[in-house]
Amino acid sequence: MSLLQATWQWLTDPAHWQGIDGIPTRVGEQVHLSLESVAIGALIALPVGIVLGHYGRFGNLAINISNVGRAVPSFGILVIAFQVFGLGDVPIVIALTALAVPPMVTNSYVALREVDPDIKDAARGMGYRGLAQLFRVELPLAVPLIMAGIRTSAVQVVATATLAALIAGGGLGRYIVDGLARSDNPRTLAGALLVAALALATELLLAGLERAMVPRGIRLLAASSPRKVGTFKTA
Amino acid sequence: MNRRLGAGWLTAAAVVLLTVVAACGSSGGGTGTASKGTVTVAGFNFPESSILAELYGEALAHDGYSVNYKLNLGTRKVVAPALQSGQIDIYPGYAASELEYYNNGAGEATADPAATTAKLNTYLAKLNAEALTPSQAFDGNAYAVTKATADKYNLKTLSDLTPIAGQLVFGAGPECPTYKFCLPGLSSVYGLHFKQTLTLDTDGPATRAAFKNGSIQVGLVFSSDADLNALGLVVLQDDKHMIAADNVVPVVRTAIATDEVKKVLNNIDANLTTADLVTMNGQVELLHQDADAVASAYLQQHNYFA
Amino acid sequence: MRGRVFLDIVDPWINWTWLSTHIPYVLAAVQEHLTLTAIALVGGLVIALPLGIAARRWTNLHLRPAVLTVFGAFYTIPSIALFALLIPYTGLGILTAEIPLVGYNVLILVRNVLVGLDSVPPDVLDAADGMGYRPLARLIRVELPLALPAIFAGLRVATVSTIGIVTITAVIGLGGLGQLILRGLIESFHTPLVVATALCIVLAFLADLAIALAQRLAVPWARNP
Repeated sequence: MSLLQATWQWLTDPAHWQGIDGIPTRVGEQVHLSLESVAIGALIALPVGIVLGHYGRFGNLAINISNVGRAVPSFGILVIAFQVFGLGDVPIVIALTALAVPPMVTNSYVALREVDPDIKDAARGMGYRGLAQLFRVELPLAVPLIMAGIRTSAVQVVATATLAALIAGGGLGRYIVDGLARSDNPRTLAGALLVAALALATELLLAGLERAMVPRGIRLLAASSPRKVGTFKTA
Repeated sequence: MNRRLGAGWLTAAAVVLLTVVAACGSSGGGTGTASKGTVTVAGFNFPESSILAELYGEALAHDGYSVNYKLNLGTRKVVAPALQSGQIDIYPGYAASELEYYNNGAGEATADPAATTAKLNTYLAKLNAEALTPSQAFDGNAYAVTKATADKYNLKTLSDLTPIAGQLVFGAGPECPTYKFCLPGLSSVYGLHFKQTLTLDTDGPATRAAFKNGSIQVGLVFSSDADLNALGLVVLQDDKHMIAADNVVPVVRTAIATDEVKKVLNNIDANLTTADLVTMNGQVELLHQDADAVASAYLQQHNYFA
Repeated sequence: MRGRVFLDIVDPWINWTWLSTHIPYVLAAVQEHLTLTAIALVGGLVIALPLGIAARRWTNLHLRPAVLTVFGAFYTIPSIALFALLIPYTGLGILTAEIPLVGYNVLILVRNVLVGLDSVPPDVLDAADGMGYRPLARLIRVELPLALPAIFAGLRVATVSTIGIVTITAVIGLGGLGQLILRGLIESFHTPLVVATALCIVLAFLADLAIALAQRLAVPWARNP
């Protein structure tokens, strides 16, 4: 039986859809870990990037932080988190959050910076000041690029959460790591395909969300953003 | 304009080439001395296996062989196929576990290392490999509980676990559910059915962390571990003798198993004791010494058993 | 609890004594790491460049969507899974490590090759044709040089990404600095772990800098990509 056939059999085996090692459970764990990490990361990154972008401060830091973030090896960060926090979700979420923050900081900074100065002038002329200008004029225009940053982070986190299994974590990485340990290739391939599918689903879902959130007029304006942070592989 | 473009290309190409050459060139520096041949020694992904692999490897290097190492390679299911496909030449096995791997769990291993190894060789012969003479040094699966759990349920042997297993959480590695001397054995010999089984690692940091934070009450360790006391763990006695002769024995490919190689390896194993394993494990696990340094010191102490 | 205190006393985050006595060990790991990375980059470029050029030239073959889709799909598969799956076919050596690494880099680089070549202004192409350049000469002497900024940008991303993923090849017995991370995990030993992680970051920065400098030498007319 070929590997593809064996993997198909593995995926369609009802036993693999139940219980603590079943596909729904593992997918749920991966989603849970990723969601927590991206949410916490966003709570940290977005305010920082937006404020820095609005006031135009520490631009170099904001742009380069994503370069620093990319340079951090996710395997190393996960193991360090494990050594500090031990077993469980905490080290995994902390490590993944650390990976999620940089792209979102850079993108939100650039998003705010790239708001057309003419529009900011016009807003000022219309009487908008400070925070009102930020919230009612700049942020709506910045949404596409900010969402792109969140999307990049999310896809990266979903893929990297796979490595959690190396520190006894759960999620779809469990199938890959266990498959390697047992030389059970159908299990490994099934895990890989499921992770790829989940990453793709995340990308599509967030792209759809972005489309829904951004008014059409602004979408046309923000058609090309050359300095946004692109998809980056960390695992 | 053209000249500058050309210069730009050349520079870029030169930089790339230099990087590659610098990276590759220095790692390819040869030793120059003629060697008796090259062998690749591998080890499983736990410290004792690295120590044993280093013992074999350094002794062979001392004897004039060129030795490559592939330490922390993985579980038996990764290492054994690597031997069969010729990617590695030697690995330090454990007689009973090797037998039950190569015979697909047929249950032929006994407490007699010599008989077990002989049976193992009947399977290895078909794979162009052989197991040499087993050592008296022994390291088999062991099942531990924390001192608190042992006191609470008055546990001394694995049989003591049978009535209360359903209340306890068990932790082991990913290969445990299909490894004869792990879950299948615990279930068939002792009738143990735990409340839950967590997939952690094989006697590694995750298992120890799980003991520490109470996620598991029973866990897989190895009988020659040196840090069990320090961690407050108590090994339960294997009163029904589920674990068979897991004596250290080198598994080698017949192609490199010359008399010379066999002599070197057998010399080590003839003198290696379980106490030696525990001592060396302690140096690596507790004092963070390097496996190769520990092996080196041991061999020099015993004059390479020459 | 006592066991834990005992272990902590002998295990600071960086044990400088250990580090000073293990410099050759660490350097050997760095060397292996750089070698694996260099092979992945050169391999990726060697495949991505012709593929990108071909995709633009022979549009009737629909190479561009095919290449981007195939390599894009490959990109979504976690590296550790690919290493594990390749073992039965390509064993436990450099080939198993490099096939996924090169594959990921092909995606990054081919995208940038395409963007770079696409960005050459049509006026410049016209002028080149007018000056008598034949297609191959035009490609080598006009289009590719103008595409260099984008290609270099892709190289920088690919390099930093590869340096991180190389650590994961530790699970098949390679790994360079990943071996130190793995040792830190298995032996609960902090120093190799922290040193390796820090060195990965340093290496990524230095490599990025080196490529940026090479870009400055090769493409002096375009400072900001």
